[in-house]
Amino acid sequence: MQAREIPTNPAFPPTQPEDPDRFVKTHKTNTRVGVFSTLTNAYALVAVGASENFYSIFEAELQDVIPICHCTIAGTRIIGRLTAGNRNGLLVPTSTTDQELQHLRNSIPDGVKIQRIEERLSALGNVICANDHVALVHPDLERETEEIIADVLGVEVFRQTIADNVLTGSYMSLSNQGGLVHPKTSIQDQDELSSLLQVPLVAGSVNRGSAVVGAGMVVNDWMAVTGLDTTATELSVIESVFKLGEGMGPGAISGANRETMVESFY
Amino acid sequence: MKTTWKDIAPVPTSQEFLDIVLSRTQRRLPTQIRAGFQITRIRAFYIRKVKYTSETFSEKISAILDGFPRLADIHPFHKDLLNTLYDADHFRIALGQLNTAKGLMETVARDYVRLIKYGQSLFQCKQLKRAALGRMATICKRLKDPLVYLEQVRQHLGRLPAIDPNTRTLLICGYPNVGKSSFLRNISRADVDVQPYAFTTKSLFVGHFDYKMLRFQAIDTPGILDHPLEEMNTIEMQSITAIAHLRSAILYFMDLSEQCGYSVQAQMALFQSIKPLFANKLVFIVVNKIDIMKPEDLDAETQAKLQELLKMGNVELLQLSCTTTEGLMNVRNAVCDRLLAERNAQKLKAGTNASGEITGRLGDVLRRIHVAQPIGGILREPFIPDAALNKMKFDKDDPNRPKLMRDIEEENGGAGVFNINLHDNYLLENDEWKYDKIPETFNGKNVYDFIDPDIEAKLAALEEEESRLEAEGHYDNAEEEELGDAEEEDIAYKAELIREKRQLIRNENKMRKSLKNRALIPRSKKAIELSKLEAGLEKAGYDTTTITARARSLSRQSRGRTRADTEDAGADGEAMDVDAAPSERLRRSLSVARNRSQSTNRRDDGVTDEKSRTKADKMAKLGQKKMNRMARQGEADRHQTASIPKWLVAGKRSMGTTRSR
Repeated sequence: MQAREIPTNPAFPPTQPEDPDRFVKTHKTNTRVGVFSTLTNAYALVAVGASENFYSIFEAELQDVIPICHCTIAGTRIIGRLTAGNRNGLLVPTSTTDQELQHLRNSIPDGVKIQRIEERLSALGNVICANDHVALVHPDLERETEEIIADVLGVEVFRQTIADNVLTGSYMSLSNQGGLVHPKTSIQDQDELSSLLQVPLVAGSVNRGSAVVGAGMVVNDWMAVTGLDTTATELSVIESVFKLGEGMGPGAISGANRETMVESFY
Repeated sequence: MKTTWKDIAPVPTSQEFLDIVLSRTQRRLPTQIRAGFQITRIRAFYIRKVKYTSETFSEKISAILDGFPRLADIHPFHKDLLNTLYDADHFRIALGQLNTAKGLMETVARDYVRLIKYGQSLFQCKQLKRAALGRMATICKRLKDPLVYLEQVRQHLGRLPAIDPNTRTLLICGYPNVGKSSFLRNISRADVDVQPYAFTTKSLFVGHFDYKMLRFQAIDTPGILDHPLEEMNTIEMQSITAIAHLRSAILYFMDLSEQCGYSVQAQMALFQSIKPLFANKLVFIVVNKIDIMKPEDLDAETQAKLQELLKMGNVELLQLSCTTTEGLMNVRNAVCDRLLAERNAQKLKAGTNASGEITGRLGDVLRRIHVAQPIGGILREPFIPDAALNKMKFDKDDPNRPKLMRDIEEENGGAGVFNINLHDNYLLENDEWKYDKIPETFNGKNVYDFIDPDIEAKLAALEEEESRLEAEGHYDNAEEEELGDAEEEDIAYKAELIREKRQLIRNENKMRKSLKNRALIPRSKKAIELSKLEAGLEKAGYDTTTITARARSLSRQSRGRTRADTEDAGADGEAMDVDAAPSERLRRSLSVARNRSQSTNRRDDGVTDEKSRTKADKMAKLGQKKMNRMARQGEADRHQTASIPKWLVAGKRSMGTTRSR
């Protein structure tokens, strides 16, 4: 895996001068950032890969801020899809080995609870989408799991679908400041979800039109990492809705950037 | 829709074309034919030649025809541009000639194939083939001019800029020398030649730039002079084509300082005359060189005219100077903003049906522009650590940047060589614990099943209880329990002995039972030596006297025939002549068998005497003689080894001529 520091996609070079607080990163060969990493406000998990480039992207931004942990789950690298977590806790699937669990326990701050869940839908990252206050989960999740989520993550749990997709974690990425949902979510659904979560929401894509936003990016309250294929317009949407960078707010999407959005998507 | 034609295959000249086709026919088809062959075979041979040649011609010509764009299928802008540059009629005729030639060649081939069918000899067929190929070659040679023309067109087409007629476009036009090219140079990365004379730019140039996260193309056109359309030359016509066909914002450049050599009046007149081309487009009059002359500095009459021009055409006036870059970005941004707004409005209009509903893809897009704001007053507090807010921005070009794992990896041999230590970042109470080794399993048990986070507390509680018990004197009467110990020890010792013995027996039996490639013999058939039995039993502590006695008594009586019987038989032999008692005779007739069968010489089996045996041996040897000579394994061995023809392996030859053709 290789990575680059700034979003210099040859087709879409940065148009604005580099903002020092512009934390959005892109990742070169691996566009599915959300598959190989988990990012929360208290810790970050990064897959053990062939080289350290992917890890170093996170390291450059998070060194001495929050612990970043190299790990595998059940021997696989797709940790972003198998785990779900927030500032208060981390949920890992039942296939996690004892050693991996102990490694996580040793690497993550003691304040964060770690819980292994016996759940049939074992790709927890795909079925749970959580910030520090609310979690949207797959409607078929077991009741015990729902209780564990509420306990460990310290959140209210709602069973929801996003644009008629049950995989809430795949089609949504969420922070305490905003959320990005599947690009085909209807306005009515967006409004409902937004009221439920109490954060602004936008329907959008990553990685040049990919609808699986959960797999294409990771985000917390002050930074986001997206795949290298992400276009400048998509980046601006992400920066706006998650309030990353200075003076960015969700209003920019329907305000200043509206024309650009219509131009680039229609 | 295609906007570039960089990948058209080169068009050969007529001579090259002919060489290609004929040499291919020669290479791909058989060349050996003899007069002695059957006439049908000779005919087929030449028919194939003629057909193949014409097919190759058709194929190659079709490839050329397909490679070039069809004027009817491309965007009107490109069509007109091609017309201007290469003359559409000429282009069509050239392609048409190729197409006709293709048809002619096919006809020639058909005719001559028909004739060859009636050929009577090799010579006749050959001459017919020659005639056919010759006529095709003549047709090909007549294509000389169109092929040369098409090759030139191909080379020029490949170098045309990639202009997308539908994207966001700024079109820069005006009189020669008013600063169009320098504007393009200033706003984009295009490296356009700027020279202080007219018609520096002789064709369209494209530059790209980004504004509001969108890619714009700016097209620099050659200067136009104010004369009727029919009198315009190719260079000017390219500008006109671009202005007429591209959906764009048009920037009409003017030079009020008249340094370009054309009066302001003339420039305004040109604007008026090309105005019909501006229908349905955004038009801006851009005044260049304001460092020398601003619109305000014009005399009243010209200024009034200029204002009138602006009013009439609903045109905006913008000002800039390319030399001082004053107003440059303002002009660009103003134009881009207007263009975006215009395109947006058009798109919204196109995506809305008669009753005002937004339909189709536009609806999808608007859904993505909508920001759903929560209703209800809960504020979700973000949690951003101070360290994140105060963190220095990582700059990979900074020599003092913090060292990353990537750098460490590079220093230690790069990816694949360097191995991270996962324990490095452990957050433990004591850093010395970081690298402690913990076994996965211990005594067959999974260690992690026994890890208890509260173990410290539990241990403390236990120790406390212990000390409390000790203090209470709970352990004082502990000696009483030791009374039964001696007895128990003895039992344990004996039990240990028994166990050991059992294990020994088990091992021995295991050794015995392992077959070691011997047959499995039932226990009852096995002879056991008496001594072994005795030893075994004695060792086990049993009395063996009775069992030994029994075994002796059994072994003393021999089984089967007794000695008495054999003695009888011997006696019989001697007393042959004596009549035996009737009872004795009866016994003999019933069951006398010889002790041992008589020995025979097997060599003489089946033959009358020794002599015939020797003869038979000789015959057998003779019968095997051939088999042995041929190194056969037996009578049935019919194996044929690979034969090597003599002419292949013997004789004089130089390197590499052993092929047997």
